[in-house]
Formats: sequence, structure tokens, C-alpha cells
Amino acid sequence: MRLLVRAVLLLGVLACRLPGRDELNLFAWSEYVPQKVIDGFTKETGIEVNYETFASNEEMISKLVAGRGDYDLIQPSDYAAEALIRANLLAPLDPALLPNRRNLDPAFRHLPHDPADRYTVPYMSGTVGIVVNSAVVHDPVAGYADVFQPRYAGRIVVLNDNREMVSWALASLGLPPNEITPATLERARPVIARWVRLVKVFDSDSPKTALLNGDVDLGVVWSGEAAILWKQDRKFHYVLPKEGAHEFVDVLAIPVGSTHQAAAHRFIDYVLRPEVSKLISDEFPYTNPNAGARKLLAPDQLANPASYPAGGKLETFRDIGRMASDVDRLVTDVKSSQ
Amino acid sequence: MSGTGPRAGSLAWLLLLPLLAWLAVFVIAPAAILFVYAFCEHDELGRVVYRFTFDNFHRVGERVYLTIFIRSVGYAAVTTALCLAAGFPAAWYIARRPAALRHRLLLLVMIPFWTSFLIRTYAWMTILKQDGLLNSLLESTGFTRHPIELLYTPGAVTIGLVYAYLPFMILPIYASAEKLDASLVEAAHDLGAGPLRVFAAVIIPLTWPGIAAGTLLVFVPAIGMFAITDLMGGARIPLIGNVIQNQFFQARDWPFGAALGVVFLLLFAAAYVLLQRPKPAAA
Repeated sequence: MRLLVRAVLLLGVLACRLPGRDELNLFAWSEYVPQKVIDGFTKETGIEVNYETFASNEEMISKLVAGRGDYDLIQPSDYAAEALIRANLLAPLDPALLPNRRNLDPAFRHLPHDPADRYTVPYMSGTVGIVVNSAVVHDPVAGYADVFQPRYAGRIVVLNDNREMVSWALASLGLPPNEITPATLERARPVIARWVRLVKVFDSDSPKTALLNGDVDLGVVWSGEAAILWKQDRKFHYVLPKEGAHEFVDVLAIPVGSTHQAAAHRFIDYVLRPEVSKLISDEFPYTNPNAGARKLLAPDQLANPASYPAGGKLETFRDIGRMASDVDRLVTDVKSSQ
Repeated sequence: MSGTGPRAGSLAWLLLLPLLAWLAVFVIAPAAILFVYAFCEHDELGRVVYRFTFDNFHRVGERVYLTIFIRSVGYAAVTTALCLAAGFPAAWYIARRPAALRHRLLLLVMIPFWTSFLIRTYAWMTILKQDGLLNSLLESTGFTRHPIELLYTPGAVTIGLVYAYLPFMILPIYASAEKLDASLVEAAHDLGAGPLRVFAAVIIPLTWPGIAAGTLLVFVPAIGMFAITDLMGGARIPLIGNVIQNQFFQARDWPFGAALGVVFLLLFAAAYVLLQRPKPAAA
């Protein structure tokens, strides 16, 4: 019996290691890499892509450090990439294998999380902002203070993401969103306590659902979700909060221990082609950092205020390391004692 | 299994071997890892650093987490009570039918398992949302003029929990009720016991193993459930399952998540011991 099990296991291992059958283990956000892109890549290169998904940066980090070598290409957000670089968990990229990097908008080069562009390549970018169902809400909504008002109690959806919520509270207090210390958290506490009482739904995976269903009328959500809402119905307006908005850049990176680094480089360069990058925008209307791809977009794609918001105070997240635990404790406490 | 000869012992162990191996690999080993992690520190990425500390358990004892524990137990208790109230009559009814009908009715209890749990939860959201099926029905029949707030409330969470765990209550009670000898009930009636007395003195004691098993099967997983509170409760009120999940997927604090898990395991053990106590004495 045990022999049989061993034989089966060995066969399985052999099947995975057979030479000639190239593959790529992609670990990326759910609903973020179009099937068309994966199919196109496999068709052109013959490289099989195994697409495994995650729903938060922390989930990705957990699985990455638990199973080293399982993934060849990952898709962290800027601050998560920063943490991984600091922990020496990312492999440096080979610029010679990424000629299409020249298509990127210069604004997306040399970002704070990877100043020398040594480890990461931007995939898509976006913001976290306010969505308003203008058919129900008639008063102007310009910032967090306008959203979290008693008269909208029970009509609000926000991301179920503790760090996001803390950063909004800090912005509303005029504090920089990355300055997370025990002192600033204490200042944010009463603000968050007031806000969570007004919120009906906390949802990071699909905050648009509650808005579409009519269960809520306002929200603080990912810009991509807002862009999809706007595409479906123009009554959903997107506003960058005037107190300051979180801008995120999701990147592609190769973890240390990847056994298919050449294939990973090929995939990154493939995605950097304007016509391929455009396919991503078609399906997931976030902000495309690829200047070449933007030229190919239709006017109404570029006119989507959630995908390409007009100016505003934007700030990216930096890694906060161990403070993530204190942020979680604060929000859990506040939510629990409402 | 007495009186089957001296060799039965070793044979029984041999037969048990696959089960024991399974338990060792999938129950004991993970629990041991959890136990070790719970006494460790963590680094910036949430990884476990093997340095002994009691801090995680100190933190479990904080008021926030105790409140959440108590609230989770409350939800699980209400769920279990409702499942018992709905499940016992259903199980009893099914068990008293002729065999052919019985099997068909049992199939109906199990049919929901053919669809993914998440899809069934989303179906409930479609029923309970503001312009959903239930509200449309209530409004069109004139029961209410405005939609009632159903989804994203504690009530919705309870509905979701009862719906998810009801079969786990019905099946073990059915197994006990089916074995119950009908002549015992008749004898009780003949001896002058009223319906209430028969129920309390005969039926409950004889179906007690099923009730105990069903209660355990519902209560224990209901405490740790996090998907229903997220989807149907709007993640407004954290239950212990959500807090544990957050330690791994948001807070980067595996050891604290492990410590919560260990306390959780002890709670299970306590519930088990409580239910294994002798059945209520027949009055």
C-alpha cells in the first residue's frame, strides 16, 4: 500500500518535472488577469500558465512564505512588494529580457517602493475613492466628511480592509496616511468608531454588489469597482476624496526560488505590449500605466472618471511592518464595541 | 464487542490503522503546530519566530476578544437551538415514514449539498436584499409598504447559519429516531403517560445520542464560521472566525491567530465533555 502511494507520488513529481513542458505558476489577484491574456501567452510561447488567486496582499505573503518555490510570478501591491524586497524575497529582474518596459508611462517608473526598478514592473494602478448613487444622493459629496454623516447611516459600503479605513481616518484628521504609530492610531480611534456605526456593509471582494442591489447608496471602494459601476449605469459617480486618496500600483515580481524565471520574464514582457495591456483595461478598467496601451483605448474608456480621475491629492501606502497587527486590533475593537 | 476471542484486539487495531494515521496527519499534527506557534513571536511579514512568549495568550484574554468569543458562542447557541427546534420534528417525522418515502425525504435533506455552499449563500442574498424576492413578495401582497431591512443584519446571519447547519442536526437525530422501537412509545401510552410525559420520559432519552451528536455537529462549526458573517452580515460584527482569519490575511500575526485557535480548540473540548455527560435521567 505504502509502496503504491510512493509510486503514485513519484509519478506525479516526474510529470511536473518533465523537460520540454514549460510552465509558469502565476499567483495573482482574483479577477485581475484576463483569460484572453493567459491564452494568448500560451498560444504564442507554448508555456502553460497555472493561475492561482489571492484576495489580499497579506494572504499572498502568507502563502508565499509558507510555500517557497511554488510560485514563479506574483502580483503584490506597492507596499507589499516593498516588504518583500526588504525581506530579500524577490529576485532581481533582468532588464535585457524586458524591452517592452519602454512602453510604461514615465510617471510609473522609479516608484518609492522600488526606486531603481530592480524588482518590480507596474501591472495596473488605481485609487480608492467615493462612489455615489446620484439617483438617491443629491447633495454634493466631496470627501470622507460628506460620506460619513448620520443621515447616511445604514446606506454606506466600505472596503473590509482595516488599513484602508485607518488611512481614511488619518487623512480626515489632516495626518499623512503612512504615519501609523500608537499615537496617531489613538487619534484615529474616535473617528473610526463614529464611522463604523454608519456603515452597512464591509466588503473588499465585490463592494459594487451592495450598490447595484440598492442596499446602499454611497461607498468608499476600489476605483476599478467604481469604473465597472459607471459603465453599467452613469448614475454612479466617482469622486476622489478631497482630504486625500490612496493610490495603489499593483506590480509583477519574481519571487526568490522561482524555477521558471525565464518564463516569468517572458510573461512580464508579453503583458507590457500595448495591445496586450489594452486587453486588461477592457476587462478590468483600472488605471493603465502603459502609455502605449492608453493610446489604443477608446475615448469612453479614457473618459471613465473612475479609471482616469482628474487630479487630486494622491498618496501611496508604504510598508508598516508590525504595525499591521495594531491596526487590526484597533478596528476589531471598534467594530466589536459599537 | 466482548467475547469475540483474544485475537480481535490486534485485528481491530489493524483495521483502525488508516483512521489513526489520518488522525495523526490531519488532526494531531496541525493541532501540535498550532500549539507551538501560539507560544512564539512573529516578524514583520507575520512569520513565526521561534522565541517563547506568553503574550499571545495575554492578548486573547483582553476584553475585546473575550467579548467576541462570548458573542460567537451566543450566535452558535441560538443557531443550535433553532436547528434543534426545526430539526427534531423533521427528523422524527421522516423516521416514522415507510422505508421508501423515508429514503426520498432523506434525499431532500441532503440535496443542498449538491451545490456549493457559497452559491447557496449568494442565493440567500438574492432573497434577502432590499429589492430581493422576499421584499418584493411582502410589498406586492401588501404586508409592507417599504422594503424591510433583512440582509446585512444579525437576523440574516442567523438565517444563514441555521440554513447551513440544519442537515447536520436532522441526520443524527434521524439515525436515533429510526432505531427507536415504536412499541416502547405505545407501552408508555398504555401505562397511562400523556403525550408530554412520553416525550420527556421515553422519546428524549432514547434519541439523546442523536440530539447530542447533532448539537455538537452544529454548535462547534457554527462558532468558527466566518463566510456567512462576512457575506450575509456585511462583516459588521466580528465573530471569532473572522478575527482568526484576519490574523493571517490582514494583520500578519500568525502566532496570535494560532493562540486564538488553541483557545478555540479547548472550547470545543469543553463542549464535547459537557455533552458526553450521562443523558438526562428518565423522570
